[in-house]
Amino acid sequence: MLRFIVRRLLVTIPTILVVISLTWVLIKLAPGNFYSGEKQLPAAIEKNIREKYGLDKPWYQQYGKTMWNIVRHFDFGSSLRYEGQSVNTIIRNSLPVSAAIGLLAYLLAVLVGVTAGSIAALKQNTAWDYGSMALAMLGISVPNFVLGPILVLIFSLTLYWLPPSRWAGFPSWNLVLPVLTLSALQMAYIARLTRAGMLEVLRSDYIRTARAKGLSERDVMLKHALRGGLMPVISYTGPALAFLLTGTVVVEKIFALPGLGNYFIQASLNRDEPLIIGIVAFIAIALLLLNLLVDIAYAYLDPRVRYQ
Amino acid sequence: MSSGKFRQIVGLVVLASLALSTYSCTVVSSNEEFFGSTTPPKQNIFRYVNGDEPQSLDPAMGNGQPEARLYMALYEGLVEYNPKTLAPEPALAERWHINNDSSEFTFHLRQNGRWSNGDPIDANDFVYSFRRALAKETASPNAYLAFYLRNAKAYNQEEVFVRDPHSGQFLLARDFVDDLPPDPISATPIDPAKPEYLPDPNEPKSDPDTAFHQQMHTPLRLTLPGDEKARAKRIDANPKLKAAVAGKEFVPVKAEDLGIETVDQYTVRLYMGQQAPFFLGLLAHQVFRLVPRQVVEQYGSAWTQPEHIVTCGPFRLKTWIPYDKLVLERDPMYWDAAAVKLDEIYFYPITDQTTTMNMYKVGELDAVYNHAVPNPWLHVMRSKRDYMDAVEAGIDYLIMNTTKPPLDNVKVRKAFNLAINKQAWAEWRRIVKPLTAFTPEGMFPGYPQPQGAEFNSAEARRLLGEAGYPVTQNADGSFSCSKFPVGQVEFIYNTQGSNKAVAEWMQAQWKQNLGITVGLRNMEWKTFLDARAKLEYKGFARGAWGADYMDPFTFLSLFYIGGENGTGWVDAKYIAMLDEANRTLDHKKRYELLAKAEAYMLDAQPVIPIATASVNWVKKPYVKGMYPNPASLYPWKYIYIERDQAKWDYSTPKLTAD
Repeated sequence: MLRFIVRRLLVTIPTILVVISLTWVLIKLAPGNFYSGEKQLPAAIEKNIREKYGLDKPWYQQYGKTMWNIVRHFDFGSSLRYEGQSVNTIIRNSLPVSAAIGLLAYLLAVLVGVTAGSIAALKQNTAWDYGSMALAMLGISVPNFVLGPILVLIFSLTLYWLPPSRWAGFPSWNLVLPVLTLSALQMAYIARLTRAGMLEVLRSDYIRTARAKGLSERDVMLKHALRGGLMPVISYTGPALAFLLTGTVVVEKIFALPGLGNYFIQASLNRDEPLIIGIVAFIAIALLLLNLLVDIAYAYLDPRVRYQ
Repeated sequence: MSSGKFRQIVGLVVLASLALSTYSCTVVSSNEEFFGSTTPPKQNIFRYVNGDEPQSLDPAMGNGQPEARLYMALYEGLVEYNPKTLAPEPALAERWHINNDSSEFTFHLRQNGRWSNGDPIDANDFVYSFRRALAKETASPNAYLAFYLRNAKAYNQEEVFVRDPHSGQFLLARDFVDDLPPDPISATPIDPAKPEYLPDPNEPKSDPDTAFHQQMHTPLRLTLPGDEKARAKRIDANPKLKAAVAGKEFVPVKAEDLGIETVDQYTVRLYMGQQAPFFLGLLAHQVFRLVPRQVVEQYGSAWTQPEHIVTCGPFRLKTWIPYDKLVLERDPMYWDAAAVKLDEIYFYPITDQTTTMNMYKVGELDAVYNHAVPNPWLHVMRSKRDYMDAVEAGIDYLIMNTTKPPLDNVKVRKAFNLAINKQAWAEWRRIVKPLTAFTPEGMFPGYPQPQGAEFNSAEARRLLGEAGYPVTQNADGSFSCSKFPVGQVEFIYNTQGSNKAVAEWMQAQWKQNLGITVGLRNMEWKTFLDARAKLEYKGFARGAWGADYMDPFTFLSLFYIGGENGTGWVDAKYIAMLDEANRTLDHKKRYELLAKAEAYMLDAQPVIPIATASVNWVKKPYVKGMYPNPASLYPWKYIYIERDQAKWDYSTPKLTAD
């Protein structure tokens, strides 16, 4: 197991360097500059800016400097758009916001999704099943840029119960609407995955064996069926969690949250090279690590994987 | 599942969504007098959505509107904008004198100016701040606005003077540059018989003559590029210059050569490299605001971080959480702190219009940034009493690439202009005024704005015919222009706001009146800017321009030397006309000359003017002292929360003096 983990971690490093290099190339290929605006700067001013940020140097020098700072010091440099703010600080400050919303949304999604999915599977072809699956279908079909504003319209602008946007620390009422919006899709996916997984497991031999041994129905469900039925949910967790924790552009935009996703989209629109590279690298690392964690969790949950 | 049950569920879902959609319509079109809550905040705090997250808290670095507004709270300069007219008013300078040709300005500072750390402010702070803003290593995007100062551009570009090592004489610009206007008074030797300044009854003592003053009053020197290659190229191109530089030495232009001087501890004198009648109005711009020398030199670019920053405006920084909020509090050290009415200001960096308006509606905001009201809401919002309805010092226009056929032909450009019914466009858009000229209409009192060509589709078709693209009328009354190379033109615009509507409207007008269908291309913002700047587009592009200062020149200079305008149109005669106007001392005469230049430019038609913009924002009725001025810049110290309902603003406050 340890060897497996170490090997996976070693593969991670070159993968991330390749991701960073590709990102660098893409940014260089994109038209436009971080300093361009509706009012075009005079050539003299543009020259000063390019020299200050080393954009007048040949490409290999720019690339070399960027990579060296990342590899040697794990330093992504300073944002071009936000004068004097280091990329590392920006990520450190915005990550907790995204992570808080993402984690809460995921927990809520698991709680509701697994419950709804299990009920649907256990009461297959009843109103419970159809009802929860219809809701899940709705959750998958309604995009969050529609759901978010509708929730705001109802709970903020009409009932005046909840604040419509902004970050107000953790915990606060401001979290409710973004978390609900963000979790709807995940909830729906998890409900459907759970239902499918459970249905498959319920028909399997070892459940019949467990029942034949005289276990109570509750034990059969919680100890055997649910555990097996959750496997697809677990493998979904890796990418989903990485996606949720590292920021969700749309929800952060709708609710004006100072999260990583918001920075990511702004950095891309602003051609803010160091910030884009920093966030891409961070998301890549998060994704690779979470996938590794999922694989490890898999091994512990599924005896067949463990004993292979 | 039985089909009955299924139908029930589907029915429920459909019903629910129908209910939601009708419901959302009623909310938007409800008929309240104001948009949402009008309960004033409990504390004496003003909450404002300022648009984008500021690029920097350094007034030399930020060049957007959100930054300009923020700097007005944090920093002060010699003068400050009037809250209604934006005319320059005394700030750190109490009073000033301008010489007879607007090329030399003497400012007398107030002696009670203080930094937020309690240190006194004096003339040296201005000299440091101006030099820093212009230094090459600062790389300020706004530095060009200070290029009117003597030697400023040469210093910013690290150019060199040419000096004779034996006599110490410098080569003069007028000997080597053709068509140079005569030197301004500030650069001619002092003649005691001809006073530089008009006598001022309030200022019995004239300003002292200094060594620097005398040094400035010498003819403008020639400057050459600091970079050797560029310099050699320039010298080789001019045989006279080549002969003259032989045996001479090159002396870098230093900060000390800039036209700014501390006459005494509380007197600053500025020397221009040209006549600059508009310069006083420009001095309230952020690039001329003070920065604290000690902190900047100690911390470098980190000086604006909350733990280091020192400011000099009516408010100081309390907390700054990027992309969340920026809290400013009243600065007790500010010289006019007693007049500052608010305790704190919250600046929220939010660009999403709907999010902003939602917060405003539930009463979490007291005012929003200009253009925060989404276009589809305008018909409802304009009837609200808290909607700010006023003209803006900005114009919308179309840019044409005059370097590529068929638009390199002025007749074709004129035809496309004449074929657009701007009156109808303004009526459809509701919040703009039709424009035929290049300066916003009615913005500069006394400016005899020229009238451009009005809508005339018959004339447009005639001109196209003259250009070799005859327009024929079809049996059904429509037009076609089969010879016109439609493949060589298109209309590019960026994905934002109403740009698509603009593009489609123009396309329809040309189709209807000329029988030409111009293709539309939607582009991402920075890609669009790049294509426009490098003239890598064919045909038309969307354009907009807002005033940097309250003078027609801020618009007309777009086609001046170094003006980067995306059209490829450069005209020596137009530049000479602007120079002549700016050398004219009589205000009325100067405006007439500027208007003449504008008419000349309109006749060459590098752009198609469309409309004068309007501001488009809301503020709660209890917010007083905040006016929808043409540049959306607010001197924050005048703003207060009025708790007496009788004194509220029940409509857009007037911009004329009370």
